Amino acid sequence: MPTASLSVLDIPFDERPDPDEYIRAAMEWHFGPDTGSPFWLRKAETLDFDPRRDVKGVADLALFPNVTGELRDVPVRDLIPQGYGADARIVGVFESGGTTGAPKRIVCLRDWLDRLTHGLSADLDGLGVPRGVDWVAIAPSGPHMVGEMVAGAAARHGGLMFRVDMDPRWVKKLISAGKAEETDAYVNHLVEQAAYVLRTQDIGVLMTTPPLLERLARHDDLIELIGEKVKGIMWGGAHMDADTRDLLRTEVFPGCELYGTYGNTMILGGATERLGLGPDEPCVFDPRTPFVTFSVVDPASGRPVPYGERGQVVMNHVSKSALLPNNLERDLAIRVPPPEGAVGDSVADVGPVAMFDDEVVIEGVY
Amino acid sequence: MAALDALGPKGPYRSRHRLTVSDVTGAPMAGLSLVPRLFVTRALAALRAAGTLPLEERLAALKRAGELFATGTVAGMSAEAYEGAVCRMSGTPLANVRIAVEAIRLSATEAYRSVQAARPVGAVGDWRDPYARGGTAVWIRRGDVFAVHAAGNHPAVHALWLEALALGYRVAVRPSRREPLTPYRLVSAVREAGFGTDQVVLLPTDHDAAGEILHGADLSMVYGGQEVIDRYAADPTVLPNGPGRSKILITADREWRDHLDVVVDSIARHGGTACVNATAVLVEGDPAPVAEALAERLAALPSLPPQDEKAVLPVHPLEVARGFERLLLGKAAGARAWLGGDGVVADLGDGSAALRPAVFQLDDPRDARLGVELSFPCVWVAPWTREAGVAALRDSLVVTALTGDEALLDGLLAEPSIKNLYIGDHPTHWIAPGIPHDAYLGEFLMRTKAVIRG
Repeated sequence: MPTASLSVLDIPFDERPDPDEYIRAAMEWHFGPDTGSPFWLRKAETLDFDPRRDVKGVADLALFPNVTGELRDVPVRDLIPQGYGADARIVGVFESGGTTGAPKRIVCLRDWLDRLTHGLSADLDGLGVPRGVDWVAIAPSGPHMVGEMVAGAAARHGGLMFRVDMDPRWVKKLISAGKAEETDAYVNHLVEQAAYVLRTQDIGVLMTTPPLLERLARHDDLIELIGEKVKGIMWGGAHMDADTRDLLRTEVFPGCELYGTYGNTMILGGATERLGLGPDEPCVFDPRTPFVTFSVVDPASGRPVPYGERGQVVMNHVSKSALLPNNLERDLAIRVPPPEGAVGDSVADVGPVAMFDDEVVIEGVY
Repeated sequence: MAALDALGPKGPYRSRHRLTVSDVTGAPMAGLSLVPRLFVTRALAALRAAGTLPLEERLAALKRAGELFATGTVAGMSAEAYEGAVCRMSGTPLANVRIAVEAIRLSATEAYRSVQAARPVGAVGDWRDPYARGGTAVWIRRGDVFAVHAAGNHPAVHALWLEALALGYRVAVRPSRREPLTPYRLVSAVREAGFGTDQVVLLPTDHDAAGEILHGADLSMVYGGQEVIDRYAADPTVLPNGPGRSKILITADREWRDHLDVVVDSIARHGGTACVNATAVLVEGDPAPVAEALAERLAALPSLPPQDEKAVLPVHPLEVARGFERLLLGKAAGARAWLGGDGVVADLGDGSAALRPAVFQLDDPRDARLGVELSFPCVWVAPWTREAGVAALRDSLVVTALTGDEALLDGLLAEPSIKNLYIGDHPTHWIAPGIPHDAYLGEFLMRTKAVIRG
């Protein structure tokens, strides 16, 4: 096997590979008997196609079955490509939030996290968020990858990162059990933790979720503190509608750049907000292709919906570190053409179906 | 299509997220701006930060607002145009809209007298009152910001929160999606009459942000079905307004034929949509002749589009009306149908339908269906016995008691779950300024503080 074809997997961070050439190299790597992971080599025997022969480009990733359900119980060591050898630099084992059942696990290697954080930092440069300022992240850490991703981005951007830990599984449990008061108390606890950091440290970048941003905005003193100190707010993990984004930008945190990410453990990272969009445009997320690619499909037929229509998001992650193709996510989004030079789809207005409370309350006069 | 903006602390706010509000035939009427949760947070913070207008100023402004609402051009809309629009939007008969407009005007004009009726006799309104020299109670607000999750069943529900403004509260109103026009007009009128934009706001939201309104207010009032009552039963900051389940009791010492007018009126006034409409009629003796007479009288009500001057029945989109019908017929299974047994939907041919009256007879005064309240003239008639007693009349907003039995009246008055007792020939929907509806709102909004000064 010519090593030249595999070198594209290690392409410098600032360069873009030819997408199809990149995918073919990744197939060689993940399905090469000496380089592939035990998980994928075993899986290959059950496939009715030969990835090294039949997967010639991004579009062919749709041939793969969705294997993410197996990540609930597969031994994680089996996920590490053997090609890294004994000195594989592993950042950590990370888990999904457990929204759709038991957590799924992935292994993140250093080369991927470096590529990911390089991109985030470059975007922040583009937004004018200064380097060398310190960060606070109110975000899931522990088994969740987002904490590590943000810490990596902070370090690459020259910052120290303060962490306020959020346990998303516990929050979800409280919410689904209807324990509004306990949910409230937990979120207040997170806000209080963040306030300690914001009051005592020179924080230039804040990373958190949209609901937490809204909760911070309940406190005039914190709005003032953030206004004084923070230059950039990175958000992710939940939907943010255009009205809220505009209010945050123009009224609540007018001195801060807002930067959205649409992340997911099953793609080992996220897609990031297209920069320079106007206040009336919905937030568009562009995945960093061909490493991460999306398609937006009709959930019934599996076929792509037309641009501008809403469908279900299918995600692919293809890197030297991991292969997670053809993963049908629960998220819905509007299909948007990708930026020039990118492949697959971009997505906008990610979130659950727009719902209104149905006021056809039949019984009772109200 | 008109834009119905949110009315925020900085003025009208047009969101990107809008809801099309249609009339009962399905024709779009307005694009209602739904504000995000963050907007709610900010608006309530602004209300909290604002001061309260001096008493004289706010009462004068309220009076102006009432007149403006009832007769003026508000936010570019004449009173006549409003009445027509709101009746087409909500399906409330035009005549009922006019009654509601008058109720709102009266509430605004009489706000002071009305709220003072709730003040404990030992309390004064200000520490400067001479009584405070010897020590007295002063009536004070329990908070500063009052929120209302309004209902859309009848425009007159908006008369009540004007009392909170009169008491010096800053008020946030979340309109119903079905009928946001009345609170839009009323909040606009209140602002045009002199209240600042940081005194009263209109915050249409979807379900997600609705809770934030309650969270951001000191005290709130919500309207809803039994589940809403149950949810907030233990929350001292929320005043729930639920089904009224108003009832009429006729004992054997009274001739029911003499009271037929008042019984029919109790059932059908306001199109049967109000919590003060009679849901059940209990008769000592044979209820069948009463049910028969009610059916005969109610059957004569015409099915007309809501904007018709003679309309008296509520109108809904056809599918919604069919939903009510299915619910009624499901509940009524096994009951003796005197009217509406074949259905209650009168298709008006334009996509809308009037809901016609229904009269069903039950055999047992303990039948739970006596409490099934539907928002059209729908009544359950059942026998009442001495054994069933006061218990059969529990959980009623109003009981009209047609009886000469004073011991029974004592029992009805003492029963805490009967909120109002009307003795003799008074319809269940009777109300007047200064009379409590479900206790005085002031009892919820205010408390007393001991004050003595030298």
